Amino acid sequence: MLRFWGWAVLRVAAVMLMASFASAMLMRIAPGFSSDDQELNSGLSSQSIQAIRQARLMDADIPHFYASYVASLIHGDLGASRSLNQPVKDLLRERLPVTLFNLAFALAVGWLLGLALAIAAQIWDTRALSFFANGLSGTFISTPAAALALVFLLLRWPPAFAAALLVYPKVYRYTQNLLQQSSEMPHVLTARAKGAGPWRVLAWHIAPIAFPQLIALVGVSISIGIGVLLPIEVVSDVAGIGQLAWHAAQARDLPLLVNLTMVVTFVTVCATLISDAAQRGLSRSAA
Amino acid sequence: MKSVRLVAIAVLVLTALTVLGARYLAPAGYEQQFREMPQAAPSAHHLLGTDDLGRDRWARLLYGMRVSLTLAPLAALFTTVLAGLVGGIAGYFGGWTERCCKLLIDLFLSVPWLFLLITVRAVLPLNVSPEASVTVTFALLGLLGWAASARVICAGAKNLMKSEFIWMARASGFSGFKLIRLHLLPNLRGALLAQFWISIPVFIIAEANLGALGLGVSEPLPSLGSLLRELQDAVMLRPEPWRLLPLAVLIVVISSFQVLLNKEEVRS
Repeated sequence: MLRFWGWAVLRVAAVMLMASFASAMLMRIAPGFSSDDQELNSGLSSQSIQAIRQARLMDADIPHFYASYVASLIHGDLGASRSLNQPVKDLLRERLPVTLFNLAFALAVGWLLGLALAIAAQIWDTRALSFFANGLSGTFISTPAAALALVFLLLRWPPAFAAALLVYPKVYRYTQNLLQQSSEMPHVLTARAKGAGPWRVLAWHIAPIAFPQLIALVGVSISIGIGVLLPIEVVSDVAGIGQLAWHAAQARDLPLLVNLTMVVTFVTVCATLISDAAQRGLSRSAA
Repeated sequence: MKSVRLVAIAVLVLTALTVLGARYLAPAGYEQQFREMPQAAPSAHHLLGTDDLGRDRWARLLYGMRVSLTLAPLAALFTTVLAGLVGGIAGYFGGWTERCCKLLIDLFLSVPWLFLLITVRAVLPLNVSPEASVTVTFALLGLLGWAASARVICAGAKNLMKSEFIWMARASGFSGFKLIRLHLLPNLRGALLAQFWISIPVFIIAEANLGALGLGVSEPLPSLGSLLRELQDAVMLRPEPWRLLPLAVLIVVISSFQVLLNKEEVRS
């Protein structure tokens, strides 16, 4: 167990460092990196413009930038955003709770809806219910997040609900397939033949098999949730991490984008790791 | 379920025919302006009316579908080749090569796909010619979308390398390129084909997301994504609901793809 977590921590650290380094490299080779809008400000003195250019030059040497970034990171210093003139730590403190709240809401509603409809389709197995649930998942799996966000903006519905509807299809389809597969297993068929009711079969025979596999989907759904929140936050003007990443990419704000990549990678990799570990533990205890 | 699949096939065939015949079905080119009638309501001549610049919306929808439905499969092909290469190399060589390839795959999968795509596209230049923007957009989709497929191919290739017929082929003196060409590739064809089909709707939606945010194909060339930008004028959607048609077409086409992909593919 200790070995597993030791490797896991190393893996998280390695992936985070590589992802943030890759984003720094990408930003460096992006056109317009070496120029700064502030240089056009006629109110600035030549010394100030020189200082801005000097700062950009220092960022341009990526290995040097990255080494000093990691050194500061170890001391808890995330640097400062060049475009917003604010410490990255403050920006994250401000924006991260907004995104995390929206993510939690989207996951809770998406999972609740997906599980409820998959279980209902399994228990009642009516054509109308199946048509409704499949139609709903088919519609939202085919809708671009940005377009759905625009429609929600028009209807003045909460943007987090749009994210929930985009998480729902994955949960519903996976759960439905899993329940369908589990319900065809010999011991479930035997239980049915012996007269066990649908709820009893689900609770005692299907759920123990399906539940550990379902846990693995938690990590995937968190990744989907973060992915769809970026366009939703941009379109709906929600002051979260997604909107900040959009701004950082467009303003070529290297320190901000590197930190945001680090945070998003950390959340995604940790979620995947924890769900994998939980799945492993549950499967072992079930066996 | 069979009837739903038939409807999906019919929708896709009809879409393909409409896209192919865009030149004959559209009253004008996608960039032709009718300056005397901007924002016109639907009529016999302009089935979906005209946009703010007086361009026929029906023509733009047809040509936009052509761009998205032609280039998404190309990007999917590119991504499948890339996934086949990385996954195949990892599965064939094993050991350190496999570990390095898997680390690369993990790296790509650790950042949410849509987040990665939008951030990378936002970093790249936007003020380029329409042709360049199309190339950049779809090449980016192909370049960033291979990781999940590569993992599937890697697992498939690894299993194949352990199978008896590969051992026998090796014992008979087959190795290197010949082994890959005659034994590995034909047996991975199913998995590669499945990854190709799965990638198409994913890429169409991804392009639509980019387009709706203004990061996709640049004007005047239309695509399903760039047509969604008209939705940003939310006030006009109630009096002009036909502006929602590109979104409806997109949902119907992608849903048809989803219906045709079997359960195993969707699950993976």
